[in-house]
Amino acid sequence: MAYTYKQIKFRFFELLPLILLLFISLNGNSTIDLKLFTVNIHYILVYYWVLRQPESLGYGFIFLSGIISDVVYGIPLGVNALSLLVIAATAAYVRVVTVRITLINDWISFIPALLFANFIYFLSLYFSNYSVDYFYLFKNSIFTFAFYPILWGIFSLILNLARS
Amino acid sequence: MDTSRDDVGIAFRSAFLARGTKQKFSLFVLVILSILFIFIESLETRPLNYLRSFIKDIIYRGSSMVSMPTKSFGSLTDSLNEHISLYNNYTELKKENTELRNNISKSDFLELENAQLRKLIEEQVETQSNLVSARVMLDKQSPYLNSFVINIGSNKNIKNGMEVLDGKNFIGRTVDVNFFSSRVLLVSDLNSRIPVITEPSAYHAILNGRGIRKPTLVYLPEKHTIQNGDKVYTSGKAGIFTPGIPIGEIKIEKEMIKVILFSDLNQITFVNINLGKDK
Repeated sequence: MAYTYKQIKFRFFELLPLILLLFISLNGNSTIDLKLFTVNIHYILVYYWVLRQPESLGYGFIFLSGIISDVVYGIPLGVNALSLLVIAATAAYVRVVTVRITLINDWISFIPALLFANFIYFLSLYFSNYSVDYFYLFKNSIFTFAFYPILWGIFSLILNLARS
Repeated sequence: MDTSRDDVGIAFRSAFLARGTKQKFSLFVLVILSILFIFIESLETRPLNYLRSFIKDIIYRGSSMVSMPTKSFGSLTDSLNEHISLYNNYTELKKENTELRNNISKSDFLELENAQLRKLIEEQVETQSNLVSARVMLDKQSPYLNSFVINIGSNKNIKNGMEVLDGKNFIGRTVDVNFFSSRVLLVSDLNSRIPVITEPSAYHAILNGRGIRKPTLVYLPEKHTIQNGDKVYTSGKAGIFTPGIPIGEIKIEKEMIKVILFSDLNQITFVNINLGKDK
């Protein structure tokens, strides 16, 4: 009985990142609005899990989640998917070249991931003739970066619960 | 030096091209697929449009179902807030009612005068409105796009570019029409440009959406006499929209002519779409 409970718990925490990923894209909560600023939790979620436990978050699901976000937000299909894959690619590269995992390492390497992803986002929307509020995009990136340690803590807790 | 370049190459290949454990696709393949999607999005062919409509309809329904619990929670908090502010609202409404009663006699006179003047110029006033109602199915305000999804599409003869009204007020136009759903691009969106006319000054201008900020009027004559409280209506210029649909009123802030919309775009549940003369 105890063994089964442990198995269910493990399975739940293993699937939690995937459930969260699909939930936030379907529910349209990729960017949470906190009145004064906004944070892109979609980017943080993808970056953290691809970096720390890529088995929990398949690239196919990241792509699918991006497509869903595109449809829900009404932007051209593929734009969010491409940005999320760029985040995942940066995380995968950092995972390959990094030996020690610390919050500071993760946090600093999140900067190029954000820069690449936003650059791709901007470029895709620009070529699709969509107007973008650049200042908003910039502010969102700054606060997404600043918010990373908080979500890093929460996700690490989930990861530890899954492993325990 | 060579060794370090090799290392980078190996790391790069391992991250982008290799499929990890439990990964069915490599990142490279999916990136190419995403680029292909963006490219295909700009193509307009009938089979592709059908496929897009089908995918979007399914995702909208799924999203609408997933959003139900959060939506219900939001409604509950709104209802609680309304109950809390009941007394204040009552006092305000009482005051407003007295003011409106005083204005009724004025508006009756203006209506009469208007009818007489129309008769004088023998204007043929023809109503072209052919309205169909719809419910807002999905209202996810994107940071970059202000739009929502309604529950009717080409099944009810909706086409791209039709005017969308909240009651009698203009709030946007339809874009991206699917079989059973359509997206409404709101006047506040960054991509929205609406030809308007001001009243009483009768200046033609363009209402320019600015995302989360209030929309502004652009392309006004240099020496205009627009004042706070002037009304803004659709001008009907170029025959895109019906003329004379109320949009909002002017508020000048820091030399910017902003428009306060008559409708609160965050509180819309049902809308009317003008099908025009087509039906």
